[in-house]
Amino acid sequence: MTFSDETVMAYADGELDGATRAALEAAMLTDPDLAHRVAHHRELRGRLHAEFDPVLSAPIPERLLAAATGTRGQARTGNIIALQRTASRYWAWPQWGALAAGLIVGVLIAPLLRHAPAEGPLGIRDGRILASGALAHALSAQLASNQQADAAVYLGVSFVSRSGDYCRTFTLRDKSAVAGLACRERERWRLEALAATRPPGSGSGQYQPAASALPPGIEQAVDALIVGEPLDAQAEAAASANDWRH
Amino acid sequence: MASPDLSAGLVSLLPRLRRFARALTRNPHDADDLVQLTLERALARAHQLRPDAALAGWVFGILRHAWIDELRTRARSERVFAPEESGQHVGDARQGEQVEMLAVQDAMARLPQEQRLAVALVLVEGLSYKEAAHVMEVPIGTLTSRLARGREALQAMLGES
Repeated sequence: MTFSDETVMAYADGELDGATRAALEAAMLTDPDLAHRVAHHRELRGRLHAEFDPVLSAPIPERLLAAATGTRGQARTGNIIALQRTASRYWAWPQWGALAAGLIVGVLIAPLLRHAPAEGPLGIRDGRILASGALAHALSAQLASNQQADAAVYLGVSFVSRSGDYCRTFTLRDKSAVAGLACRERERWRLEALAATRPPGSGSGQYQPAASALPPGIEQAVDALIVGEPLDAQAEAAASANDWRH
Repeated sequence: MASPDLSAGLVSLLPRLRRFARALTRNPHDADDLVQLTLERALARAHQLRPDAALAGWVFGILRHAWIDELRTRARSERVFAPEESGQHVGDARQGEQVEMLAVQDAMARLPQEQRLAVALVLVEGLSYKEAAHVMEVPIGTLTSRLARGREALQAMLGES
């Protein structure tokens, strides 16, 4: 039995219906040339992905985030949000191999944004991704040096960034299982980085990530922003008492 | 779709939109410009998005139109780019030149624009034939024939790896 190029192509693309697919798969067993044609098509797809996929895990320029959120005219070159950098770093872990690469940001951010604005941990305002609700409250009021081990939002390190703002790392201990870095901007907490604390599909509820174990991407983002040492307990309490202003 | 939801959806799609644009346009800055224009148009036309429509397909369609507009504008202003539909560049993959890392992008850039779109939507973005045909506003048969020709041309230019 012979198969047209378009049929072989459709098979390689997963577009054949059951009967034709079964016939082609049976034929491939005894026809190395047919198998080669299929492999050739798939190889091309693989080469295209190898070429174009890296942009999926590249940092997203702020002007594009601003455009997506309807904030015009605030393109600021060189100021990128580290969301994707952190995700890609974490994604390099072997168990992430099966994750659909295009969904990294979607997987992490979209569910957090999708709540009602008052309830969700993140919101979009003025083209910024900002902490809201319980997350914003914890960032402002909760002290890493004095928090419950099972707090819904767990605070990590606090430090002063190169731009002079206070920044804090946090871990959400709900099923979203993300850790992040937020920096104070006026009266708000602006999200700077976000990464998953565990691979998808590893179950929810039972697993509690160790509070001290930030994903590598978040640690990397801290390293990129920090000036000097993290705040100690005394400095953290003083900063919080002053509402994170200098 | 309310605007905050649409924005959240667009943010989620950003990595894929950037990849799609780069598959169409070699220059990364041009590709991001294309994405930015697409996002602005998507927000301006939010009322056109039917509640049951897939957001990705709708936004890819907007990006496709923005790209075609851009090519037309460029062709008019520079008179450098001939209309690519003829496919006249496809056969002249330069032999003997150094095979460098940009080979795949070079090859993509030589495809006629409709073939490049089909390849980008199906092979890079992973859309089904039906979805890709919808984005390109053509029947499935047209999509598959453009995809087949684009694929054949790419394979001829790239050879076996």
